[in-house]
This record gives sequence, C-alpha cells and structure tokens, in this order.
Amino acid sequence: MIGLADYLIVGAILFALGVAGFLCRRNLIVIFLSTEVMFQGVILTAVGFARFHRHLEGQAFALFLLVIAAVEAGLALGLVMLLYRRRRTLDAEAWSVMRG
Amino acid sequence: MLDFESTRGLALAVVFGPLLGAIAAGVLGPRVLRAGTHFAAILGVGVAFAASVILLLRLQGASADQSSIVIPLFDWIAGAREPLVRAALLIDRLTGVMLVTVTGISLLVVIYSRDYMRDHGHAVRGYERFFAFLALFVFSMCMLVLGGNFVLLYLGWEAVGLCSYLLIGFYYEKPSAAAAANKAFIVNRIGDFGFGLGLLLIYLTFGTWEYGPVFEMVQRGVTATGAAVGQGTLTAIALLLLCGACGKSAQFPLHVWLPDAMEGPSPVSALIHAATMVTAGIYMIARCGAIFTSSATAMSIVAGIGAFTALMAATIAIVQTDVKRILAYSTISQLGYMVLGIGVFAADSALFHLFTHAFFKALLFLAAGSVMHAMGGVIDFRNFGGLKKVLPWTFSLFLVGSLALAGFPLLSGFFSKDEIIHHALQANKLLGGMAIVTAALTAFYTFRMFFRTFSGPLRTPPGVHAHESGGWMIFSMAVLALGALFAGYAGTHITGQPFHKSLEPVFASTFLTANPFHASHGAATAHGGFLGEYGLMILSGAIALLGILAAYVLYVQQPWIPGLIRATFTKTYEFLWRKYELDEAYDVVVVTPLRGLGRFFVGWDDYFIDGLIWIVTVVPRAAAFGLRAFQSGFLQSYALTMVAGLVIIVLLAAWN
Amino acid sequence: MTTASSVLLYAVFAVGGAAVYAMAPKGEAPRRGLTTILVLAALGGFIAFLFTQFPVAHAERVCFAVFALIAVGSSARVITHSKPVYSAIYFVLTVVAVAAMLVLSGAEFLAAALVIAYAGAILVTYLFVIMLAQQPGSPVYDRRAREPLLAILTGFMLAALISHRVMVGEGAGNTANSGATGITASASLGNTVGIGAIVMTQYVVALEIAGLLLLMSMVGAIALSRKKVEKEYHESPAAALGLAGREAPPF
Repeated sequence: MIGLADYLIVGAILFALGVAGFLCRRNLIVIFLSTEVMFQGVILTAVGFARFHRHLEGQAFALFLLVIAAVEAGLALGLVMLLYRRRRTLDAEAWSVMRG
Repeated sequence: MLDFESTRGLALAVVFGPLLGAIAAGVLGPRVLRAGTHFAAILGVGVAFAASVILLLRLQGASADQSSIVIPLFDWIAGAREPLVRAALLIDRLTGVMLVTVTGISLLVVIYSRDYMRDHGHAVRGYERFFAFLALFVFSMCMLVLGGNFVLLYLGWEAVGLCSYLLIGFYYEKPSAAAAANKAFIVNRIGDFGFGLGLLLIYLTFGTWEYGPVFEMVQRGVTATGAAVGQGTLTAIALLLLCGACGKSAQFPLHVWLPDAMEGPSPVSALIHAATMVTAGIYMIARCGAIFTSSATAMSIVAGIGAFTALMAATIAIVQTDVKRILAYSTISQLGYMVLGIGVFAADSALFHLFTHAFFKALLFLAAGSVMHAMGGVIDFRNFGGLKKVLPWTFSLFLVGSLALAGFPLLSGFFSKDEIIHHALQANKLLGGMAIVTAALTAFYTFRMFFRTFSGPLRTPPGVHAHESGGWMIFSMAVLALGALFAGYAGTHITGQPFHKSLEPVFASTFLTANPFHASHGAATAHGGFLGEYGLMILSGAIALLGILAAYVLYVQQPWIPGLIRATFTKTYEFLWRKYELDEAYDVVVVTPLRGLGRFFVGWDDYFIDGLIWIVTVVPRAAAFGLRAFQSGFLQSYALTMVAGLVIIVLLAAWN
Repeated sequence: MTTASSVLLYAVFAVGGAAVYAMAPKGEAPRRGLTTILVLAALGGFIAFLFTQFPVAHAERVCFAVFALIAVGSSARVITHSKPVYSAIYFVLTVVAVAAMLVLSGAEFLAAALVIAYAGAILVTYLFVIMLAQQPGSPVYDRRAREPLLAILTGFMLAALISHRVMVGEGAGNTANSGATGITASASLGNTVGIGAIVMTQYVVALEIAGLLLLMSMVGAIALSRKKVEKEYHESPAAALGLAGREAPPF
C-alpha cells in the first residue's frame, strides 16, 4: 500500500528540486517556474495527508493552493514583463543594485 | 643688629629691581624705549647695586654672630599639614659679598653694552632683547645667591642657565651661535641632573629644604628621624652637588661649553662667563660647606678636580689663537683655582680669588670686546697685530688686566692666587706643584695674547678702519681696572685681611674648624708659616715675571722661535690645539648614541605605534571586505541564505 | 530504520544530487552519457530503496512509484534545461505525473483541476511570456547556472533531512497504512461532490477570498501591463550585469 511516507518523500523531493532550481537559474521565468514546481510538491503533500487522515480538508487546501499559484503566476509574469522592458534582459543578475 | 623690615626691603629691592627692569625693557623696549632701552636696565641693576652696597655695609656693621638673618616671604608649595616648600631669603656676609660683586660688575657691563651693542651709533637688531635678558640674568643670579633654601637655589640655578642660553644664542641666526647655546644648556643640564639628585637625596635624608636645619643636622650627624646619617650618604650628596658645580663652573669634564659660549657678545662673556654665573658653583660649594667638609673623600675629589682642570685649561690656552677663547680657557683655569682652594679648606681664599678675578677677567673680556669692535668682529690675533698705536686706551686697560691675571706683584691677582697656592702646598705637595706650574703657564699665555695683539707692526684685517671705543665703554673698563689694581688690598695681611675676617662667621663652623691641614686659619697666626708665606710670595712674583719675560722673548724679540717649537712638537701641538679631543670624545660617547636613540624612537613611533593603529583600522575594513560578500544584491543569494538557515534548523531539530 | 538503510537513503540522495548537478547548464558541453547514467542510477536507487522498505505486493505501489519517478525526473529537467521553453514543457509533464498520483489517491477532482488550471492556463501564460521576452540565440543566463553546487547541495540536504525524519517517524509506526482505496467522508457520492460540499459549507469564506484574490490578480496584471516603462539602459545589457560586489579592496 502507499503509505503516507511515500507521499511525503516525493513531495519533499519535488519541493527540494524547486528550491534548487530557484536558487541556481538565472532566467527570471525559469525561477518562477521553479516556484511552480515547489507548489507541486506541496500539493502532493497536502493530498497525502488528506488521504492519511481520511478527510477532505487536505484536498480543499490543495484547491486553494492552486488558486494561489494561479494568482502568483499571473502577477509574477506581469512583473517579469515590466522588468524585461526596463533592462531588455531576463537575467536575474541584472538586478543587483543593492549590493554592498 | 640687623633690622628685619629694612633688610627685607633691601633684599626685595635687590631682587625686584632687575626683574622690573627686565620686564620694562622687554615690554616697553621694542615700541617705546627703543634705543633708550638701556636706561631701563641701568636703572634696575643700579637699584640692585645700591641696595646691595647698603646691605653689605649693614652686614659689616652688625656684630659677627648677628650677621645672618633669614627672611621668610611666603608659603610656596602647600603640603598636608605644613608647607612643603617655603620661599625665604638667607642674608649673611657671604650673600652680601656675592651680591655686591654680581650687581657691581653687572652695572658696569650694562653701561659698557650701551656703546658695544651699537653699530656706528645705531642700535643693533635685538637691542631691547639684549638688555631685557641681561636684566633677567641679574635677577636670576640674585635669586640664586639670596635663596634661603635648596629649592630657591635650584630655581636660580636653572634660571641663570636659561639666561645664559638666551644670551649666548643672541645672534641666533648664526648657526655656530645657536649650536653653542644648545651645547651650553645641554652640558649644564648634565651637571644639573646630578645636582638635582643631590638635592633630592638631601630632602630624603634630612626631610627639609631649608639651609639652617640641614646644615645643623649634618654637623650633628643625624637624619630627620634622629638616626645617624651614614658617611656614604654624605659623600654621595657632596659628590652629586659637585656634579652641578662642575657643570655650572666649567670644571672637567663638563667644561666643554665655556669656550664655545664665546659666540655670545663680549659683554655677555664678561658678565656671565667670567664674573658671575660661573662662580655660582663656587658659591654653592661655599654655602654647603657643612656637607662638603663632613666628607674627606669629597673634599679630596674637589681639590683634585680643581687642580687638574686648572692645569689642563692652561695647557690648552697656550696654543689657541682666538683672544676670547684664550680668555675662556683662562676662566676655566682660574675657576679651577677657586675649586682647588675650596678643596683644601681655604674657602675664604677661594672667595677672595673669586672677588679679584671678577674684576680683572671682566676687564679683559670687555677690552677684548673693544678690540673686536675695532677690528670689525674679528678676534683671532692671527689677523691683526700692533694695535697699540690705534687703540691706546684699550691697550692700557688690557695691560692692567693682563698683569693682574698673570699675578704681577702687588696687583690683585697676585695676592689672591698666592693664597691659594700657599694653602694647596700645605695640603698636598702635588696639588701645590700643579698650582705653581699653572701660574707660570697663566703668565705665559696671557702675555702671549697681549704681545701678539698689541706689539709689533700694525696689521688690520682688510677693509677695517680701526677706531678707539666710545666713552661709555672706556668708563666701565676704567672702573674695572681700578678694581683690578686695588681690590687685592682687601685681603692682604698688611691691611688686616678685612675680606677674610668678614667671612669668618660664615665659615666658622665648617671650613675653618674642619681644616685638617691647618689647626687654625687666619691672618694673625704665624707658626713659621708667616715667613714661609713671604717666601712663597716672592716665588710667585718671580714665576709671573718669568712667564711674562718668556712671552716677551718668544713673541716680540725672536718671533721665529714659536714656529720652531711648533715644528718640533707637531703632534703635541695638534693635540692641544684640538683641546685634548674632548669634544670629539663627547660626540662619540654621548651625542651619537643619543642621536641613534632618537632615531630609534622615531622609527618606533612610525612603525610600531602607527602599526598598532593600523591594525585597529584594518580589522573593521577586513571584516567588511569579508562580509560584503553576503550583500551581493542578488535575490537568489539571499534566498540561498534563507534556505541554508532552514536546513540548519531542521538539522538541529532532527538531531535532538 | 537500520543504519544501513539510513546510509543507503543518504547515498541515493547524493547520487541524485550529482545527477542534477551534472544536468545543470554550466556553459560547457553537457556530458550526456554521464548525466544519463547518474539520472538512471538515482532513480533506480530510489526505487530499490523503496522496495527494500516496503513489501512489494500491490500494483498501486508500482504505479505510484512510476509516476513518482516521472514527476521527479521531469522536474529535474525543468530546473536544469538550458532552454526555457523546454523547461516549460517538462513542467507540463510534471503536472501530468502529479495529477496521476492524485488520481491514485482518490482526488480526481483535484487532478482534473490541476491539469486544466496548471497545464492549460498557467503554463500557456508562461509560454507566451517566454516567447515575448526571448533573446535571440542562447543567452548566457540560460547557459550558465548560478552557483549550482551550493543551490543543489542546500536543496538536497533539505530533501534528505525531511525524508529521514519521515522515515524515522514511519518506523515508529506513526503512519499506518491508510485506507486501501482512498476512502473519504462521503465515498458514495464521489470525490467532486465531496469537495464541493466541504468547500461550500466549511470553507466558504476561504472560497470567497480566493475569488477576491483572483480578481485582484486580474486587476493587477492589467495595471502592470499598461504601465509605461522607459528603457533603462546602462551601457549595454551585458555591462548592466556588472560583477558581484567584491571588487573594492579594503586596503
């Protein structure tokens, strides 16, 4: 049987991959894509808990997560477009004015 | 009976007259008085001289045991229960004699300077400064002599050193003058260091600074707590005080500053380096007689140093060619005589010689100044000669002074020098022999100088128009010449030795009673020495005449002889010419190590101290350099830090 | 869990990290062979590990494992591919795999919503933006990853730690095998009805707020896109990148 541990571990792996991608890619869009990957991991974890505890709260939570992800994607991409228009580049390292 | 109020008034007049004169000359001189600044100095020093004479007469009039008085002025440094240092003046017969000598010679020198410090009638640059410093010096010397305790003595001691520095360096734009002023002050400082240690030792042993209590305790042989004072302590105190005397009175090995001090104007040389400041050491030893006489070792060392210095300086003087330098070495030699006199317990003879020496040495220096004035600043007698025709007055006055210095019979120098030789012979045959040889050399080099300057064909430096000196200068020199001729009669047996008698109360308990060579000292006792004294007198007179004759032969009649002597004894000549290479020795032993030490400390300051500061500054900057890496401005770096922190937290949570 | 199993777990994760590192674009020619081997080794190791821990009996588990592998592998490619379009496509694959796993858990509605909303809407938006903001050729910021070692190290440490804790908890018997077929509160009506019921009754406030959020996002997106932004060029985009702030010397 699929145990809770399986869901949690796979969710953790997806989350970790998303974190790694967020930290090491330079393309702004890919950075946001990595956050979406993180979301996937979290959704999986939430649903796993829902299954374990035999209720639907986890799934409802995952539904709202989906909404948040959509909202975030929309706004983030709008901001990325603005940034691109300003510097004509999608490089995250172009925005390092506050360096010490 | 000395009246307290009037004595105090006179003493304060002696002190404050020159001080106010100095202040007036310094403050009002540059704007108001200008070429009349000498009046301020003459007035100030004149007041002091008048007060000193009245004081001396009063002191002579008072009976022997009433002739000493202490005048307290005010409490200077407060202590816990009672003041640590009081300002008080001590006035006794010794003070009176010293004051009259100092103020009298000072007055004559100030009068002389009015003409000397002028160039064709116009006052030289710094005229006001000169008189201000001169008056300040008189004030300092009077403070030294009048001081009633060791602190005031030290105050006056340092003040005269300062005035000497200021006056030697009067022509401060001349590098040699500035260097000479430094040398005088620094060499004096070396002596003053020992002097200061001696004073501190006195305070530590006896618990007080006042003369009276200290001398009384020394004679009883006890310290402040009543315990017996060790002989070693007394000898140590005496030797440390002697250090100061050697520095101030130019005895070996601290004599090197006096010849260079001739860079100052001639009046300064006459006053400070002939008659007054250099005698401060003699005065101090005489004043502290109780301490010195309590230690036979110290007295032997004093006598030895005096005799050695006298002989050494005389040998250097016979090859020098600068008139003022010859006079400087002659001063060192005569001071050696005085120190020798004190060393053989003949303090009154030493002070008598101080008295007569002041007259003829000051006269000689002023006459040399007159020659220098006429020769346009040149004083090396290789550049001139035969000045008898153009400077008749100077010639006669110089002759009087030279005769007195050489010890020509019946002049003042003859009597005073003879006394010291007599006492030296009684004490130790070697010392007496050295004194006699020195006397011969003195006569020789004095008249060598005289004949080279005034005899023979007239020669002057090129472009110089020689003229006789002005009235003021002649007047001062004439008065001093009178003193050189007749001052000796204050101490002869025929006149009853009034000079020595008057100083008896001062030295009664110290030099006179402690004298191991002479059961009782004084004019009246004969015990076989009287005829011996006359015999010695004849011997000294003969030696003086012999010296003069030798100089006459060598420098007037057969002038080729000195050249032959020099060619034969070239090595010796060179060694004497370079003053026994003592200056070079000082340079190697003292000056170069001190310079090296100074450079070391400069480097220490530059590298070590500044390095420490640099380390203090570098630490924050290096830390900033390291920490700056965290502030890269990239969002992802910050995110990385956050996630890393999260990992660490989870790690810590997982492992607990 | 035994010590050997713990060591195996960490080793598998290490290999996984190495695989992702090898896949990350570093501006040089990718070593395809090594990368493939590492990826397969990681995935295979993970499956082997799972099979050592749990008895192999059920197809459900195998399916779950397969879909999990697909999800993990494709999300690894998402973050490591040098072309953003490919990243987006791989992400679609990740979403599909996750949706499959959700179906296995009995959350069909959520799986469908995931596919429709994510793969249908969000990813399409991403692709549009990628196309709009594309630089010709392969720009440097796509080819080179930024300090991949540190990033991946951190991520995998995180994953390993969480997994370890989970497994430790598992060993203590916390997580018993839950319901065989994903039984929910109202299984008879099906998942969609169940979620609808719960959302409309218990979490209606959250639902309304979610709707409000969506509205805000729409307004915000329109406002952002209308904003006039002047070009801010420094010297050139390459020069505008600058260096990391480390070049000022302290002495």
